[in-house]
Amino acid sequence: MHDVLHQLSLGFLHLLTPANAMSLAVGLVVGMLVAVLPGLTLVMGVVLALPFTYGMGVTPSIVLLTAMYLSGTYGGAFTSILFRIPGEPLDVPLLWDGYPMARQGKPAQALGWTLLAALWGGLVTAVSAVLLAVPFAKFALRFDAPEYFAIVLFGLSGVTALGGASMPKALISLCIGLLLATVGVDDTYGADRFTFGVPILKDGIEYLTVMVGAYGLGEVLARMGEGFATPPMESGGKVETQLPRWREIWRLRPTVARSSVIGVLCGIVPGAGATVGSFVAYGAEAQYGKRRDKLGTGIPEGIVAPQVASTATVGGHMVPLLALGIPGSGATAVILGAFLLHGVQPGPQIFQTEAGMVYTIFASMFAAVIGMCLLGYFAIKPLIKVLQLPEAVTSAFVALFCFVGAYSARNSVTDLWMIVIFGVVGYLFERFRFPIAPMVLGCILGPVAENSFMTSMIAYKNDWTVFFTRPISGIVMVLTFLALAYPMIRHLRQALRVRHLPPGIAALGRETPP
Amino acid sequence: MLGRLKEAIPYAALLAGAAFLYWDSSRFASLGRAGQLSPAFWPRAVLALLMGVCAWELARRVLFAPPRPRAEARPAQDEGEAARARRHPLLLAAGIGLTVAYVLLLGILGFFLATAFYLAGFMLVGRYRRAGVIAASSVLGSLAFIFVFMKIVYVSLPLGVGPFERLSIWILAALGVH
Repeated sequence: MHDVLHQLSLGFLHLLTPANAMSLAVGLVVGMLVAVLPGLTLVMGVVLALPFTYGMGVTPSIVLLTAMYLSGTYGGAFTSILFRIPGEPLDVPLLWDGYPMARQGKPAQALGWTLLAALWGGLVTAVSAVLLAVPFAKFALRFDAPEYFAIVLFGLSGVTALGGASMPKALISLCIGLLLATVGVDDTYGADRFTFGVPILKDGIEYLTVMVGAYGLGEVLARMGEGFATPPMESGGKVETQLPRWREIWRLRPTVARSSVIGVLCGIVPGAGATVGSFVAYGAEAQYGKRRDKLGTGIPEGIVAPQVASTATVGGHMVPLLALGIPGSGATAVILGAFLLHGVQPGPQIFQTEAGMVYTIFASMFAAVIGMCLLGYFAIKPLIKVLQLPEAVTSAFVALFCFVGAYSARNSVTDLWMIVIFGVVGYLFERFRFPIAPMVLGCILGPVAENSFMTSMIAYKNDWTVFFTRPISGIVMVLTFLALAYPMIRHLRQALRVRHLPPGIAALGRETPP
Repeated sequence: MLGRLKEAIPYAALLAGAAFLYWDSSRFASLGRAGQLSPAFWPRAVLALLMGVCAWELARRVLFAPPRPRAEARPAQDEGEAARARRHPLLLAAGIGLTVAYVLLLGILGFFLATAFYLAGFMLVGRYRRAGVIAASSVLGSLAFIFVFMKIVYVSLPLGVGPFERLSIWILAALGVH
């Protein structure tokens, strides 16, 4: 513990270097802007920031992206509460109580509760990342190829099962990502796979082009297909934040405690993430909260629970990312991409080889929490001015960022064509409601999964039972099956319940939710 | 029935694509060493899973889907939601065409001209009609991108060919990029 505190204090010192401090400040502002703009998603914002990190050191790059990620979980609260526009899916539960509170003439109080919840959730997330990452990494040092395969499989299955979309669609998306990762010359035998005689495909498909194309250009095309129908907002009204009194805060102890635990757990479990955390925390409040009967009418519990949980997931996500090299969400997949672009492979060894960088990232999380709250308190009014920009103008610049970002990686026009192809793929995914995150994660983790699987098979003479007979991989494989079986069981139970309803209602129950 | 078939099209297309790739994998299936899994094992396992899920979804949607009740039109919550629900395929096709043209012309016109035209075209296709804002934001935006990426991030953006190259070099000199 003493060593951890010592390293953390050194991390705070490193954070004071101009490059790190500047990255932190820029990350906070841009993350908040991205979250405020309904046309931009948090993951898309992190993806678009990636090209700017090419010329930076690895530490400022990760500080920038982490700060964006953290402040992005808070920024969308403003538009949710004030205008009933959730900037991100994770902000949806916030508007159920935030907007009614604002409508009752208390927007400043609603924003005050959000600020406090983001501050608490952020501090919880930073502390949990510091406390959990090292034990996680020490544990991971015992891992061999079968354990790595099992862990990667668990990560992919979690994203598939808990991603919120229908499981078959998520599985299809994942398979496409895994297949994209097999294009090119394979690592084990040097065989050309799915290159069709195209020389550039021998190098494989860059996951960066998949991410930028599918998330960035795909979203722009989807909005264009809707005719850029979101009208620009008038934000000239009075916007300020009023913090609640200590007595009121003290009363919300159980809500805060519940939501903090839910947030951190949802962060650690791959695929769960901020959106799931936000919804689960609101659901827990509706089930166990003292004033559950008043939820939805504009009470602080309905604001605090989802905001604490969504911000608290960030640190939870950073734990498996740093300790195992496994991202659990779209945003952490991009952060992993930034690590790899700078030649750093996250994993248990990183705490020995790059301890300075890791603790600077942890320190930046503490600083980012304070910074985003100060920014939210003092700079909210100019921030929401961006809502007045027309969607066609912002989308044009987002598309341009996608192209320049992808071109910057290798100065190759072929990558621009890849962006266009994956932009159309991303649009089709949006159009047919296929989730993009499993494809991106499959693309990034596919090579790790294949290499660890093939290495296990070579080392253990094609004995596939090795994944089940070794204790750690066996347990993880069981968890993987449970993660995959849970949605199926839930679906079956729902189907059985619908079958017992009268015919008319049952037919309605079978309708696919939008 | 038509609705069900329409829903099944993406899965049928994916199934056909996966079957083709499975067949294509036979080209490198024999390259492995004796007693070891071939390089086709992993992609084939993924393709088998993909084909299985697609086949399941196809069967579920075409054969086993219960008849749907005539759904009453759900009233849109607000005007914005109703507007977003409308599709604009021509607008989308124009956007994709413009994007393809941008990538095609980037190497010929150079970054500045191609980007300025792309930004302006994109805003116009997006039904934004304030000419002053379009002109200013597309020209200034292109210049800002050149300055940031070539002067600060050191990315070599395309200069174009012939007279367009000379124009790009003149702009770079004016921006102090050497």
